[in-house]
This record gives sequence, structure tokens and C-alpha cells, in this order.
Amino acid sequence: MTSFIQVVINGIMLGSMYGIAAAGLSLIFGTMRVIYLAQGTTIVFFAFVTYWLFVKAGIDPYLCLLIVVPLAFLVGLFLFYTFFRKAAALEDKNVSLLIAVGLMYLIENAMLKVWSANPRGLDIPYADATIAGWGLRVAWVRVALLGLAVLSAFVVYLFLKRTRLGTAVRAAAEDMEATTLQGINSTWVCAISFAVGIGLAGVAGVGMATVYSFDYQFGFTFAIKALIALSLGGIGNVFGALAGGLILGVIENLTAYYISISWIEAASYGVFILVLIFLPQGLFGRREIVKKV
Amino acid sequence: MANPLLEVKGLTVSYGDVRALEDVSLEVEEGSIVALVGSNGAGKSTLLKAIAGLLHPSRGHMLFNAEELGRLSTKHRVDRGIVLVPEGRRLFQTLTVLENLRLGAYLPRARANFDESLERVFGLFPVLKERANGKAGLLSGGEQQMLAIARAVMAHPKLVMIDEASLGLSPILTRTIFELIVALNQQGTTVLMVEQNIHMALNICNRAYVMKTGNIVLSGTGEELLANVDVRKAYMGERGGKL
Repeated sequence: MTSFIQVVINGIMLGSMYGIAAAGLSLIFGTMRVIYLAQGTTIVFFAFVTYWLFVKAGIDPYLCLLIVVPLAFLVGLFLFYTFFRKAAALEDKNVSLLIAVGLMYLIENAMLKVWSANPRGLDIPYADATIAGWGLRVAWVRVALLGLAVLSAFVVYLFLKRTRLGTAVRAAAEDMEATTLQGINSTWVCAISFAVGIGLAGVAGVGMATVYSFDYQFGFTFAIKALIALSLGGIGNVFGALAGGLILGVIENLTAYYISISWIEAASYGVFILVLIFLPQGLFGRREIVKKV
Repeated sequence: MANPLLEVKGLTVSYGDVRALEDVSLEVEEGSIVALVGSNGAGKSTLLKAIAGLLHPSRGHMLFNAEELGRLSTKHRVDRGIVLVPEGRRLFQTLTVLENLRLGAYLPRARANFDESLERVFGLFPVLKERANGKAGLLSGGEQQMLAIARAVMAHPKLVMIDEASLGLSPILTRTIFELIVALNQQGTTVLMVEQNIHMALNICNRAYVMKTGNIVLSGTGEELLANVDVRKAYMGERGGKL
């Protein structure tokens, strides 16, 4: 029993990374109807940035959040206005998807050039500190990761629910033209939601750097995992995306422990396809909350 | 005579190769209700969208308070007081009634008048006050239409354009909505409405334009058009007629 609980806990910690990434994807998809496939690679990029800040400037990775997250937000605005503004306005969303794929390879290769193909990891002095009890053991950095995920989901939730701009983001996710008709600059609303999504990639990047070793190619798989988490959680719900990530993490760890590590990927994609077939609205999504008039 | 609030002159709008509007001109006097009637595909909605800035004309002019609207964005038109209640209401269904109203008053000028506008809206549509924290998608059809109009009123508009307010509503609800539109107008808001319920529209409007295949083919006061034999035959079930 203890080992089962330990495996579940480890899964939750792993899944919190998927959850942050999925929340970002959800936000971007919600307004722009585009699957931002470069999300994982963008996360790895910010992990490298954190790595540099740690190695070159000696800044504690958690303090790096104060630099990386605002930077990520600005990078998000830059990416939106440079690559996606025109494409997002098109009826054909494939253009944006292809731009995302192109961007992913562009960032990957730029990272290969700058940081080489060697895997990197942060040598944090307190990496071995653990919280233990009842025969269970979790590293503090992993607990912090979960904390970051929950905190950022909460911040995004408050932004969406409590601010005027956040309300406009939710409105745009539902009906872009009707949003424009309220005198709202819907391009700016898209830019903001994209930038917040990339800001979450910044959070995830710092989280990745604190716990994992990573290389320039790590991102694509990660984006797919975030997509699976998103399908589990249902689109348009930050906490759903987070929960989807946690569930995926648990499924992966249970598979690794009770079946075999080599079955992890098969289990993830199996769940992905089963969910898409039988619960396309996600585990938490209600089939129809809106009465048809 | 004073300048009309809205003046459209020689407007031509095309979707690709298809002309949706051809050389359309109309005037909307301040404080009036103007109805645009005609069969499906006549270009009524296109005209409203062009005035709202969602579509850009290939030729012609639109003057609001004697100022050329040119290629101003929708945002700037809303800020000047031109608001469109689109066909099918297009509410934010997963948002609450109050959130919908807040979005209607998004721009600074409207936000400055938020409390006053909200009071006005709740006065006109008391049911929205009761449902303020409920989801817009859970309102009945009539209430949704009220909310759509209310959301436009929150923008503190000079001109409200309403596209097919009666669509999908029972005759009784349609009457209620029409009465509310008249009440809104009596508070000083100018109304330009597209309406399929031609008889009722002609009854409440000061002036009406009849559109057919992208052109305005007839115009006059509501009474004149109600008395017009061709209008009665084409749109009110009488036989024969030239329209």
C-alpha cells in the first residue's frame, strides 16, 4: 500500500508539469483555436534560460521565476505579433498549426546551436532535501513544482474570472466577432491570452529546470503530453487542464511501476485515444451546459 | 434641416465577386426609429455590418454626426456611439448576465457611465436584474434578446442597430420586445432595425427602407409603406404586386 501511495504521489508531482503546460495550451486554444504545438519546446527554452541564469549569474531557480515569467510573457507578445496575428484571423487554422510546427523546429535548432545536444540539469544545493513520513518520501523541489502548478492555475483563474481583460478573454473564446462588436480589440485579447499561455510555459520551464535534466529535443514529447492532459481535462477550464495533467502523471507512474517503464508511452497514448473516442469533452467537461434556444 | 445622425451614401459592398450592396443610400434622423425591411438575402444585415465596421465597403460613404467613418475599426465606431445587436443575439452564453453587460460597457467612455447605464437597463428590463448572476445561456429566448439589446445599451450608444430582434420569438414576445425598443427610443436612443416582421416594424418606425437584392427600392414613412399596395402584396401576404 505504501508503495502504491508513493507511486501516486510521484505521479502527481510529474503530472503537475503536464498540467501547467496544458493550462497554457488551453488558454491559447480557447481564444485562437490553434494547437500551439511548440509549447513543449518553448518550455524547454525557458528551462535553458533558467539554466543560464543559475549557472552564469548564480540566481536561485525559484528567484528566476521573477525574471523568466515576465520575460516569457513578453516573448509571448512578440511571438503573437510576429507569427500568429495574421494567421489567427484566418478561417483556416491549419496555417497557424503549421507556423507552430515551424516555430518548434526553429526554436529546437536554435537551442541546439546555443546550448548543444548535451542534456542539462541544475545542480541545486537543496535538491536532495526531502519531506518524509509514514514511509513516504518526496523531494521538496517536487512539492514546490506542484505548488507552482496549483498557484499558477489559481492566478490564471483569477485573471479570467475577476478582471475585465480576463472576462474579455473568456468572451473571445466563445465568440470573437461578438467580442469585437462590444468595442473590444480582439487582436489584443488574443495577444494577451497567447502571452499568458507562454507565461505559463515560463513557469513550467523553471519547474522543469529544478527537477529534470533536459535537452533541446525534450519539448515535442512534452507538448504531446500536455495535449493528452488537455484532452483529459477538457478545453476551457484551467483547473481541468491541471487535473488532467496530474491524472496523466499518475497513470504514467502506475504503468511504470506495476507494468513496465517501456509501457509508459503506450499507456499515455492509449488513454488519449480512449478519451477522445468516449469522452471527447474531457473527464470534467459537461456535455452541454448551454440550453439551446 | 439639421444633418442626420447617420448618412449612408452610395455604399457598395462585395463578398469576393458577389455584390451584396449596390449604391445604397439612406439617412437616419437623430431620435428616430428607422426600419430596414425586405426579403432574405436583400443585403439588410450586410448594410448593418458595414455601418458597424465589420465589413469594409468598396465604394461609398458613411457619415456619423457629419463625420466620415471611412475605415474606422469597430472599436472606434462603438466609442462614437454606433452599436450593433447582431442577428441571433450572439450573447456570451457561458458568462453571467452581469458579465455580458460589463462587456457591453468595455470602453472607457461607456465604463464612466456604467452605474447609470446599468440602472437604465434594469429599468427597461427588470428580469435581467433578477437573473444578473445567472448564465446568459440559461435565459429564455425573449430574455436573451432583451440581454442582447441591454448589452448594446451599456455602450452608451447614440445609434443602436438591431438585426432581427423578433427572430425565433413568439408573437407575444415580439410585441414585448418591440415595446421595449420604442421605450428605448423614447429615452433618446436612435434605432436602426432590420426586421422580418414587417407589419410591426412599419407600425413603430418613423421611416422605413425596403431593400431588394442589394438595392433600396422604396422608402417612406411607416404609414406610407403600410398603405403601399406593392409592399402589402410583396411582404404581407396580399397577392400580386411589383416588389
